[in-house]
Amino acid sequence: MGTVEEYTEPSADSRLERSANHVWQNRQAYLLIAPAAIFLLSVVGWPIFETFRLSLYRSPADSALETYVGFQHYVEILNDDFFLQLLWQTGRWVVVGVAGKTLLGLLIAVHLKGDIRGRKFFRTAFLIPWGIPYAISAVVFRWIEHPQYGYLNAILIKLGVIDQGIGILGNPELAWLGVVVADIWIGTPFMAIIFLAGLQSIPQELYEAAAIDGAEKWHQFRYITIPQLKSVILIATLLSTIWTFVSFDTIWTMTGGGPINTSATLVIWIYQVGLKNGNLGEGAAYSVIGFLFLLVFAVVYLRIYTRGGEKL
Amino acid sequence: MPNDQTDLSEENSIDRRRMLEAIGAGGVIAISGCLGGGDGGDGDDGGDGGDGGGGDGGDGGDGDQQTIQFLTMGVGDNIQEFFEENNAKFEEEYDCNLEFTSVTWDNAQQTVNNRVDGGEAPDVARWPARWIPQLVGKEALVPITDMMESDWGDRFYEGMAEGCMYQGEYYGAPWAASNKCFYYNKDVFEAAGLDPEDPQLDTWDDMLSAAQTIKSETDTPALGLPGADVISTASQYYHFHWSFGADLIDDDAQPVVNSEEAAQALGFYSDLHLEHGVTQSSPLSSDRQDIRQLFESGSLGMVIAHVYAGLNIDNSDADFDYGIVQVPKGPAGRFSLNTIDGVSIFAQTEVEDLAKDLLRFYFDEDRHFEYASNKGFMPTMEAVGERDYFQDSENWAPFIEAGQYARARPKLSNFNQFNNRMVQAIQEALGDQKSPQKALDDAQADLEEMMQ
Repeated sequence: MGTVEEYTEPSADSRLERSANHVWQNRQAYLLIAPAAIFLLSVVGWPIFETFRLSLYRSPADSALETYVGFQHYVEILNDDFFLQLLWQTGRWVVVGVAGKTLLGLLIAVHLKGDIRGRKFFRTAFLIPWGIPYAISAVVFRWIEHPQYGYLNAILIKLGVIDQGIGILGNPELAWLGVVVADIWIGTPFMAIIFLAGLQSIPQELYEAAAIDGAEKWHQFRYITIPQLKSVILIATLLSTIWTFVSFDTIWTMTGGGPINTSATLVIWIYQVGLKNGNLGEGAAYSVIGFLFLLVFAVVYLRIYTRGGEKL
Repeated sequence: MPNDQTDLSEENSIDRRRMLEAIGAGGVIAISGCLGGGDGGDGDDGGDGGDGGGGDGGDGGDGDQQTIQFLTMGVGDNIQEFFEENNAKFEEEYDCNLEFTSVTWDNAQQTVNNRVDGGEAPDVARWPARWIPQLVGKEALVPITDMMESDWGDRFYEGMAEGCMYQGEYYGAPWAASNKCFYYNKDVFEAAGLDPEDPQLDTWDDMLSAAQTIKSETDTPALGLPGADVISTASQYYHFHWSFGADLIDDDAQPVVNSEEAAQALGFYSDLHLEHGVTQSSPLSSDRQDIRQLFESGSLGMVIAHVYAGLNIDNSDADFDYGIVQVPKGPAGRFSLNTIDGVSIFAQTEVEDLAKDLLRFYFDEDRHFEYASNKGFMPTMEAVGERDYFQDSENWAPFIEAGQYARARPKLSNFNQFNNRMVQAIQEALGDQKSPQKALDDAQADLEEMMQ
């Protein structure tokens, strides 16, 4: 027993010694990664520190003076009714956007894996939206949905569905949907390509065996494709969630967060408060809150992911 | 087989904690990156006639020659050559290097703030005068009161010069000005049975009456009404606000946006869409540029716009006649939103004398005439404004006349925040989410808290 305790509770000196030995033995590797580590610290560590520090100050854009206010910004934000509205709007933006991209991406990937005519063309064509700068795609969608000049309204008027243009992006109830459609269009190709790569790694023998056993296409999809793709789906949706959460260009270009702030997300509000309104301290506090949300999401998500014995 | 894969992947797997750290750090960077991005301005009243143009950087220092940095914004194709030629003349005349930079309006305010905060302020900048209070708060500008109170400064229209004054000092000279008039489409008026040569648009009620006639007699939307979530929505609305006798701030710079008159003004504004239906469809989707372009294409009956709306129509293939009258008046009078672009010298400059020479150089009468006429902005020097070109032109004359109704937005260091909150109130009323009084009461409460 005493022997075990000696091994399980090593002295601080021995731990230090072991660490020092480890560093010394791997000194070449540490030296090689040192420049990258220093660079990362300066571009990652400093912004994190500066954002948090700024969130503790009142720092108006019209003054060089910063006033320390402690956690006042956080208290005000958490007590503001609009913060709850903002969380709801951010949540629906992320959930609907990621779900749309995932489902459409999966649908496209499954069909692109099949032996269809023009497969190469379609694989290339489906990548195009992802290659276009987000802001340009957003401008295009803004015009498509424009009440006076937009194609969408022109088609609906031609078909006799409506008699005058509908301003989707000017409707407080619909504006966020008008933007999320653009976001899904932009983000789906990435999901499709990732899923296609995952699909191609599934052994064909599994499908052949299932077909011999009489499994229908849907059952093959349900019991072979989805389980085999699980890790790919989880990682792709994790990345898509983070990217959708921090997405700025599409919303800002199409609606600026309006009308009446109904399409604003947390990231849009950070920009609005910090830069448009010139309250850098409050904007930084929103940034830190957004970061904490992402961190908690990532921890929970990865915990769920690894529960089934999956490894990253 | 799954076991084999697990063993293999274990060797190559990424540690979960490291993954979390990377994701967390990435998240903060992505979010905090928003705080370092460019300002998505909407183009301001003084500047949205321009489109972004590139600057022609100078060559840097050259021997004993002084170098002066001149920052401007929104230099479009129609004025690029003007700056290139005159900058070269200035370099030759003063034996110096001039580094000229133009940024787009979208980036302008943030660029200036970043450069000031980073100790890299330009020596001279041409920009909207309403940004002066913010920069004075940072002690970033040099007062040029001595110049403005000399004979040189007396050449400017007094009201325009005052646009560059803050807390009793001049922090710039008025570079250009813009105000608004009321355009109407003569073809649409004729089709509606209205007299295009005598449009009877003296008051808001006259305007509403004409709009109702156009609505009943034609398929063309009668009136352009902006309501999108941009700063210019408020700029258009303020004509109504002021003319009903309401104000934005009082003499102590405290907000007074929810008076009875203000509620009447916002009620009239929103009812143009909600009750009378005389506007283009979905005003909440339209910004000022949308409705101006709609008018320029001949698809709108009436709109409040700058002088360059008419110049654009004249220079296009548009096949319709238009007229320009003064912005209609309300119970408390008539107002034309006036915006001043100023040119200022920064406190960080090491070539203050040369910077003042640059101001004197560009405010040469002929040079100022060339700029104002090419760019489509009001001249700020009286002698230039009195030239026949401006006095006799059908496009310019109403705008020169509108000078007597000119009113600028209040000078507040946090005006953007103030204005954004007003836009929200306008949208709430126009979107029928709140009554005009409730929308303005809520705005008043927020603004009071903001301006404490």
